[in-house]
Amino acid sequence: MTIKHLFPVSKKDVAQKGEEHPIMSLRREMDSMFDTFFRGFGFEPVEGAFPAFNPKIDVTDTEKDIRVYAELPGIDEKDIDVSMSKDSLTIRGEKKEESETKDKDYHRIERSYGSFSRTIHLPVEVDTDKIDAQLKKGVLTITLPKSVKAVEDTKKIQVKVE
Amino acid sequence: MKELQEKTQDKAEHTRERRLYTPAVDIIERKDDILLIADMPGVDENGLDITVDKRDLTIYGKVEAEIPANHTLVSSEYGIGDYQRAFTLSDAVDTEKIQATIKNGVLRLVLPKADAAMARKIPVTAGV
Repeated sequence: MTIKHLFPVSKKDVAQKGEEHPIMSLRREMDSMFDTFFRGFGFEPVEGAFPAFNPKIDVTDTEKDIRVYAELPGIDEKDIDVSMSKDSLTIRGEKKEESETKDKDYHRIERSYGSFSRTIHLPVEVDTDKIDAQLKKGVLTITLPKSVKAVEDTKKIQVKVE
Repeated sequence: MKELQEKTQDKAEHTRERRLYTPAVDIIERKDDILLIADMPGVDENGLDITVDKRDLTIYGKVEAEIPANHTLVSSEYGIGDYQRAFTLSDAVDTEKIQATIKNGVLRLVLPKADAAMARKIPVTAGV
């Protein structure tokens, strides 16, 4: 545990805030706090010269469902663990390093490896029994149907003209 | 590494209105070949285009947009776009025997070293 783990927001996070929506930056900050919190428990590999793998995530929303897309290149489905608890979705896994080559000499290393854990807080209630996760071409797509209640609770507000 | 050098990208215009990303690569030299591994999530064998023009190796990966039209993107850390990266190969690579495989969005390119580039032991015969 190095000194930077004591601070939930890194300089990098602060620098990004100017460009994005306040809600997004809050979400990012929350994620970063979670990541920082879990780091002390051994979910992350020992930090060395190489940056640990951290998947990039996109989230889309429709009336009926929320879809979470995570870029997980080179990871087998058996190394991915998706879990849902109350209002947050967690994707955990490990990206394993090449180990088959013995007589090797690295010339360039840009890809990163290691364990990762990402937690996404969902703004609405989802039907946890109908969550579907599919891994295709290194992209994990998780479809979370909104619960009947959440869909019904959505009210359309009429805009009146005076 | 002289066998494989990154080529500065030329400003060629693409007909597809897509963002272009540079995939992260690992380059590993082994005894008989050079292994290039590139992370290209969202690409499969149908979207991959690898060309060798003389000594220029270009990797192009096409990503089919998977976000349906009626979906609103609420959070985005990666954009949808294609991948491209180019390298210049030296004579030490046998361009005829390059092999490519892609699995789970990871491309593995095996670039065999040309026979001439392989270290060879020269038998010395005693002179008369």
